Amino acid sequence: MAAAAATAATKGNGGGGARAGAGEGGGARKKKGPGPLATAYLVIYNVVMTAGWLVIAVGLVRAYLAKGSYHSLYYSIEKPLKFFQTGALLEILHCAVGIVPSSVVLTSFQVMSRVFLIWAVTHSVKEVQSEDSVLLFVIAWTITEIIRYSFYTFSLLNHLPYLIKWARYTLFIVLYPMGVSGELLTIYAALPFVRQAGLYSISLPNKYNFSFDYYAFLILIMISYIPIFPQLYFHMIHQRRKVLSHTEEHKKFE
Amino acid sequence: MKHYEVEILDAKTREKLCFLDKVEPHATIAEIKNLFTKTHPQWYPARQSLRLDPKGKSLKDEDVLQKLPVGTTATLYFRDLGAQISWVTVFLTEYAGPLFIYLLFYFRVPFIYGHKYDFTSSRHTVVHLACICHSFHYVKRLLETLFVHRFSHGTMPLRNIFKNCTYYWGFAAWMAYYINHPLYTPPTYGAQQVKLALAIFVICQLGNFSIHMALRDLRPAGEWPAPGKGGMVVGRLGKGGSHLPLLSCLPGSKTRKIPYPTKNPFTWLFLLVSCPNYTYEVGSWIGFAIMTQCLPVALFSLVGFTQMTIWAKGKHRSYLKEFRDYPPLRMPIIPFLL
Repeated sequence: MAAAAATAATKGNGGGGARAGAGEGGGARKKKGPGPLATAYLVIYNVVMTAGWLVIAVGLVRAYLAKGSYHSLYYSIEKPLKFFQTGALLEILHCAVGIVPSSVVLTSFQVMSRVFLIWAVTHSVKEVQSEDSVLLFVIAWTITEIIRYSFYTFSLLNHLPYLIKWARYTLFIVLYPMGVSGELLTIYAALPFVRQAGLYSISLPNKYNFSFDYYAFLILIMISYIPIFPQLYFHMIHQRRKVLSHTEEHKKFE
Repeated sequence: MKHYEVEILDAKTREKLCFLDKVEPHATIAEIKNLFTKTHPQWYPARQSLRLDPKGKSLKDEDVLQKLPVGTTATLYFRDLGAQISWVTVFLTEYAGPLFIYLLFYFRVPFIYGHKYDFTSSRHTVVHLACICHSFHYVKRLLETLFVHRFSHGTMPLRNIFKNCTYYWGFAAWMAYYINHPLYTPPTYGAQQVKLALAIFVICQLGNFSIHMALRDLRPAGEWPAPGKGGMVVGRLGKGGSHLPLLSCLPGSKTRKIPYPTKNPFTWLFLLVSCPNYTYEVGSWIGFAIMTQCLPVALFSLVGFTQMTIWAKGKHRSYLKEFRDYPPLRMPIIPFLL
């Protein structure tokens, strides 16, 4: 879902191009856009993020070639993954400040779900770091983000190659389910260790009359994928039809 | 007297839905809505939004046809607001839930706590006190819904009842679970803390009630609702799902006046704040949180405070827009601060 959400929702880190906002109801589009300083900043931001995820991609490939197997590759890209995925929190700020025309709520939801998986699951439950399911979502995220950030970069510069647009609105068909599977399997793998260690859990009695069961919480998270994932997925499919057919028509008239 | 013709088009498709001829020039939008319902009975007046421009604002029920910027043939655009539910129904449902649910936990009905605790009673006085306070709070709200508040709108979208009930009922269950738990820990500072908290709670409940009465008195009972609303008048004193439900039998009104302090000292908070009812409400829950020393109660207070601040700011803004001589010292919800 973190994979799905990130591809689906944001209208982009600035720039026109087709909109993929999960929350957008096809309302009136404000042609204002960010000012020149904001645009420059956003271009830099998106270029840096594209580069960051490329580093992760290259890191994965190199580690695979060095080790000869695809197991436990997480450790080779752990630091840049944490850095660049956490850095995406800035995107919430971009929306809040208004330089990006996306919904703050939607963007927060996407970014927080990614950050949650990285820190509250993968980082916190060391035993799952060697699971193959981690590789599954890392690959899905990596490809998605490289395309997404380059899409925004080009959009901001008003020069969007059709290939990038096509990639953004097509590859998700495979990458979403792949990412979601990786995420769910990872959370599932973490469950026994959370139960065992009582991780992030507090029980009664205590002074503040409060309790929290992280194990139950993770199960609720997994259940929430059921209503949320199809909605995001089908929204993207709908967007795909709109965006890609639009371009076809444009081409006819050229 | 020249008659008007009114044609009603669908705002999205521009399809002609209805044509009314020989409409009186002093007919109100409410009357036109009633006429429209005759040809399209599935769209009762509360569901209708009529406007002069497909993307513009909704016309008010009391707007008069000849005062609108239209020619003798008026074109109105219709938008379906979706299934509607009356404010009173929503308020009664969302308040009755917590009252009942809390008691389920208080009496330790089976399947909540372990079976050995079924129908047992807490040994802590504060737990009994908390039940009285919580129950009193919601009984007060129900009675205010029936007898005090005066709404300016009759209905809200149906989906709101699910949203609102989830919020109220969910939080009530969550709080009640811990307060009535067999492993509940009473407040650190004992009876002193409970007494102080109870004082805060009682003062704020009285204050909240005083404000509701003062606000009700701003709206004269004499104004009758627009035709078509039947005997039920429900509305709200301004934007946001404010706390002001209404007696279904009393006629409501849409007059707006600046609220001022009265002889009742609790209303003196009007000197400093636009929405003292919200201020007192937050105060009540803070009192309850201190009384029970329960984190979920504190969280509920925080969420409620956030929502009420949004409403208060909206109300404050509309007061400032409507009244040039609005007292400048007043803040929306917290004196001097917010």
